Amino acid sequence: MLENVFVAAKRGAIVGLLGPNGSGKTTLLRLMSGTLTPDSGAITVDGRPIGAFSRLDLARRIAMVPQETHATFDFTALEIVLMGRYPHLGAFELEGADDLSIARDALAATGTAAFESRPFFTLSGGEKQRVVIASALAQASDILLLDEPTASLDLGFQLEIVDLLLRLNRNRRTTMVVSTHDLNLTASLCSELTLLFGGRVIASGPTERVLTPENIRALYHVDAEVSRHPLTRQLTVTPLGRAQ
Amino acid sequence: MKARAMKRLLIAVLLVSWRVAAATEATPHRIVSIIPAVTEMIFAIGEGSRVIGVSSYDHFPPQVERLDRVGGLLDPNVEKILSLKPDLVIVYATQAELKARLARASIPYYSYEHRELADVMQTIRAIGARIGATPAANRLASDMEQQLDDVRRSVARLPKPKTLLVLGREPGSLRRINVSGGYGFLHDMLVTAGGANAFGDVKQQSIDATTEMILGRQPEVILELRYGERPDAAAITREIRDWDALPSLPAVRDHRVYILSGNEFVVPGPRLVDATWRFADTLHPNRH
Amino acid sequence: MTGAFGALLILMCLLAPLAGSTTISLVRAFDRSLPFADNVDAQILFIARLPRVLAAALVGASLAAAGVTFQALLRNPLAAPETLGVSMGASVGAMIAITAMPPRLVGGMSTVPLAAFAGSVAALGVVYLLSIARSRGMSTTVLLLGGVVLTTFLGAVISFVQYLSDYTQTARMVRWLMGSLDVGSYEPIGLALIPMAIAAGGYATLPRTLDLLSLGAESAASRGVDVVRSERIALVSASLSTGAAVSLAGPIGFLGIVVPHMVRLLVGADHRVVLPGAALFGASFLIGCDVIARRAFAPLELPVGIVTAIIGGPFFLWLVLRRAR
Repeated sequence: MLENVFVAAKRGAIVGLLGPNGSGKTTLLRLMSGTLTPDSGAITVDGRPIGAFSRLDLARRIAMVPQETHATFDFTALEIVLMGRYPHLGAFELEGADDLSIARDALAATGTAAFESRPFFTLSGGEKQRVVIASALAQASDILLLDEPTASLDLGFQLEIVDLLLRLNRNRRTTMVVSTHDLNLTASLCSELTLLFGGRVIASGPTERVLTPENIRALYHVDAEVSRHPLTRQLTVTPLGRAQ
Repeated sequence: MKARAMKRLLIAVLLVSWRVAAATEATPHRIVSIIPAVTEMIFAIGEGSRVIGVSSYDHFPPQVERLDRVGGLLDPNVEKILSLKPDLVIVYATQAELKARLARASIPYYSYEHRELADVMQTIRAIGARIGATPAANRLASDMEQQLDDVRRSVARLPKPKTLLVLGREPGSLRRINVSGGYGFLHDMLVTAGGANAFGDVKQQSIDATTEMILGRQPEVILELRYGERPDAAAITREIRDWDALPSLPAVRDHRVYILSGNEFVVPGPRLVDATWRFADTLHPNRH
Repeated sequence: MTGAFGALLILMCLLAPLAGSTTISLVRAFDRSLPFADNVDAQILFIARLPRVLAAALVGASLAAAGVTFQALLRNPLAAPETLGVSMGASVGAMIAITAMPPRLVGGMSTVPLAAFAGSVAALGVVYLLSIARSRGMSTTVLLLGGVVLTTFLGAVISFVQYLSDYTQTARMVRWLMGSLDVGSYEPIGLALIPMAIAAGGYATLPRTLDLLSLGAESAASRGVDVVRSERIALVSASLSTGAAVSLAGPIGFLGIVVPHMVRLLVGADHRVVLPGAALFGASFLIGCDVIARRAFAPLELPVGIVTAIIGGPFFLWLVLRRAR
């Protein structure tokens, strides 16, 4: 499905994987997290192949936020976040005061401290996503992988999540790889982009250089204008219509 | 005028005589019997030649092996029954659907249900009347009653051992034991043969008896019934030894556990008399 | 809270042998001066009731723990020990033993429970092989679908076997399918303990991983869980304990699906409390249902499955309606 893909994320960068549905973004993220193994090539963290890490070691380096999290049982938000401490605990070790305070810090960092005792399934989409991010934060990893983090969220929550991720990146220097098909999310969040189409990389590099009308047409068959917004000073993509 | 009246009278007479003829033709000659007990009754009355179809479970008397099979209690083959063009079908009381279909096909049926021992003789008389063989049927019934009285008399003055009458259990263990309660033809046979039913106070034909229930009643004799072919002696010994798991039961302690096999125990027909004699001989072997 | 469940179980174990379809005198039962062979009260207490209470505890614990595990493994709160066909496999094994096998093996062991257990293992094998057919790991969706299909298919096999068998065998089969805790001795319990102990060993490693697995295989993997290994252990442990329970007592329904939820209502969702809690509470629950079964219609006894259905059914309905809101 994926061919000849090379993606690199420097420490502290926010790298976007941009492409239409089916382009291989999720597969690529899964390869990065170790859920899938490549037929050829390797995923490395700091030069070390991820296969050389033990499962727990890898979990301490890389955390993943899936597109949606469904809790089968009535876990509270705090319980969900505490699950992020799993790679740091021994086989039969219970969470201690340290773990609890790390979890609570993570809830605070994502603005969800008030939901600590509420059942996860009662939260809104945006709140849920923030709790899941908090859970990934509690994993205390330096790399965060996010699969379409705003795909099912309302506009307000989308903005919240972008703010949150930017803030986390600034405060904690977390390296992030974000897969998305949302052009403006990409523009506002990611410093670098890799464009994927049909399992192949068609462009990669700093966002300003890569997010061009030509590349957008190649990905989406849509004519678009890319400009700096007068108010936000951010790169903004304005779709104009289907390409001929 | 007179000619027309005469014609009408003639038609009326013909109609009436046709009706009368039809009524006397009601004596069935093509009988399908889904109930092995009733099949045996009909043969014992001497009218076995009128039986043209029997159930899958009929094996007695030997003549039935040549006859067509029409299914059983739970799975009667209605098409087969209808194709034999019977003029009487013996059905079980609970076979509601079969009865409905026979009614729709205007085929008369006789509904039977086994209950107590006395019902067996009563059924023989009723069947006899239904098929127009009343004298033979009454003779058979009276003969059976006489024989049962003989059994009763032969054990009259003997003590009646508390007996557990086991109808079935899980093979190789004492689990899921099913016994006869204080109602039904098997219970009546046991009493006639000079036994006291350990579960006589519970008026049900069949009871699932647990270990506690059996221990609580301390039976002095255990009679286990088997309905198929007689197992070989080694198998019988092994099955009796299954009861060694409850050595505190008087029946086990005194080696009074017996296994009786034969399908006359599950067919409440004329052979019940033989079965009752076998009960008596097992319970009171030294009574002569 | 686990302590409370443990205390409840101890209480049930002490009280349950006092109840039964007959009335016995405890004083006489413990009267040493009477020889055991003459002491009916002692016989009933020690031969009929004590093994029965122990069997109820083990079967209840096994089915409840299996229910918790299957619900987490399949990520489905409606999953039950019966869902994957393991229980049906045991029933088919028992049917075959009743119709086609001799009552006892060479060693003297009764064939029906052994064949039942073999059937449950076979069903586990089929379902497991189906689920790994397409990928290296185990697909829980395929597992669930495979289990449902297998259950339906085996149900048809049971009907077919019953159709072919004679009156006696059919009666035996029907009785086996009703479920019975009346073990009458410790021997069948001892046999069932072997797979139950193996399952317990598996369960001991599972609670935290069940929490993580219940959020999704990928979520669990990204937190460092060895998903393939954990799912395998969960499947095998839950299937072994179900197979052991059904081989010992026949199918007893509703317990495996309802007790996990009862426990979650009391202690929350954390499997480190729910799994042991459900095992303990499941044991108490079944002991309690069996007391009702033994006493409600004395001198007759109800099949315990009827009591678990009467209690479990409405509770389950209430659960479903509550979730729907």
